[in-house]
Amino acid sequence: MHSDTTGSWTPVALSADLPAGTVIPARISAGSIALWRSESGRLSASADRCPHRGMSLSHGFVRGEALSCIYHGWSYAQGGNCIRIPAHPGLTPPETIRARTFAVEEAGGVIWVAADETETKPPVLEGLTPLRSMTTDAGISAIETAAGTKASAEGLIEPAGGTLCLLVSARNDGQTLIHVLLKGETSPADRIAASREAESLRRAAEDLQKKGIAS
Amino acid sequence: MKLYDYILSPSCYKVRLMAALSGVSLDIRPVDFHPGLEHRGPELLALNPAGSIPILQDGDLILTESSAILVYLAAKAGPEWLASDKPEEAARVQQWLSFSGRLTASLGGARLHEMLLRPGDIDALQRQGVAALRELELGLVEQAERGMRFLAADRPTVADIACFPYVALAPDGGVSLDAYPAIRLWSRRLRSLDRFIEMPGVHRLHELKAEPTVEESKV
Repeated sequence: MHSDTTGSWTPVALSADLPAGTVIPARISAGSIALWRSESGRLSASADRCPHRGMSLSHGFVRGEALSCIYHGWSYAQGGNCIRIPAHPGLTPPETIRARTFAVEEAGGVIWVAADETETKPPVLEGLTPLRSMTTDAGISAIETAAGTKASAEGLIEPAGGTLCLLVSARNDGQTLIHVLLKGETSPADRIAASREAESLRRAAEDLQKKGIAS
Repeated sequence: MKLYDYILSPSCYKVRLMAALSGVSLDIRPVDFHPGLEHRGPELLALNPAGSIPILQDGDLILTESSAILVYLAAKAGPEWLASDKPEEAARVQQWLSFSGRLTASLGGARLHEMLLRPGDIDALQRQGVAALRELELGLVEQAERGMRFLAADRPTVADIACFPYVALAPDGGVSLDAYPAIRLWSRRLRSLDRFIEMPGVHRLHELKAEPTVEESKV
């Protein structure tokens, strides 16, 4: 998503889907990233490529405050610098061995990553509670048509007359990442219904996309 | 109890995993599934005319459907892996046991096409696999709203074991798991169970293994 308001910030995941001590793959306009949270809860985003042999760091694992590559165990600190090479236990890795990192912000249960250097902050989404994330083969215009309304500058699509609110971001592989958010207080039954409503919207958007109506 | 087994078969892995989790020891009889096609040979066809594995033989009982084998192992050694007497829970277990057949047909079919060059419409298999993964993701999202961490209950059951292997190995068939956060968390829960065992392509959570020390590295 590259609207004026969000700048280089992309909403990549929901906080609840990244517990402490885990790493997940995500995408921003700059490419694939490994998004991870240390055991003490600190968030980091690095290019999804180990500087050693190019393995995806999102296939790796988090131990303590470091992200380790699954291939040869090279470990990286939050700043992207290599702090441990298991095959050379006595070696302090040189400063030049580092994975590229990106700025991360977490607000209201949504994790945002910036594709480049920025002074801005991601948009604040007031009064919305995250429910789940999903991807779709449909583009944003197909989702807008299915929902009967346009996306706001922040990337929010609010179908009329419901609690549902979709935070959408287009990816460069043609898919769209949707974070399903809910307005106001909701019960588990409301949330299950909203989740199914979001699935229906996705089906409708993908139908439109397939028929080429929204392109 | 004898299991006619193939190390790379997700269906055989279900049986080995359930046996490990419930503490049953199996007498493993390896089958030359590929390239030997031993499961289509006279000895195994005599046991299972359908020509599929796994086959579990226990006395005069011969089981050839993996879901039935899971239920048998659980009933014998780990009844907590079966549904309780709550109707809803019992039904959910059956729902996902049946559903697991669709994972085998779609994701399993795509995997056989990509790994063992079995003929098939790969686009259709992958599309059906994605549809099945979306259903599973939705099911897990709804279970989370009910305060339950697994498919049929707040504890793992045979339903989880029936669905897990083909899902975990979906990337072998060219189907990505990146887009399913609820499936990712569920897979982590299963892969961190106490007596969890691995198969090629499915590993225990690495961070649960002890960190190698410098002394050990020198040996």
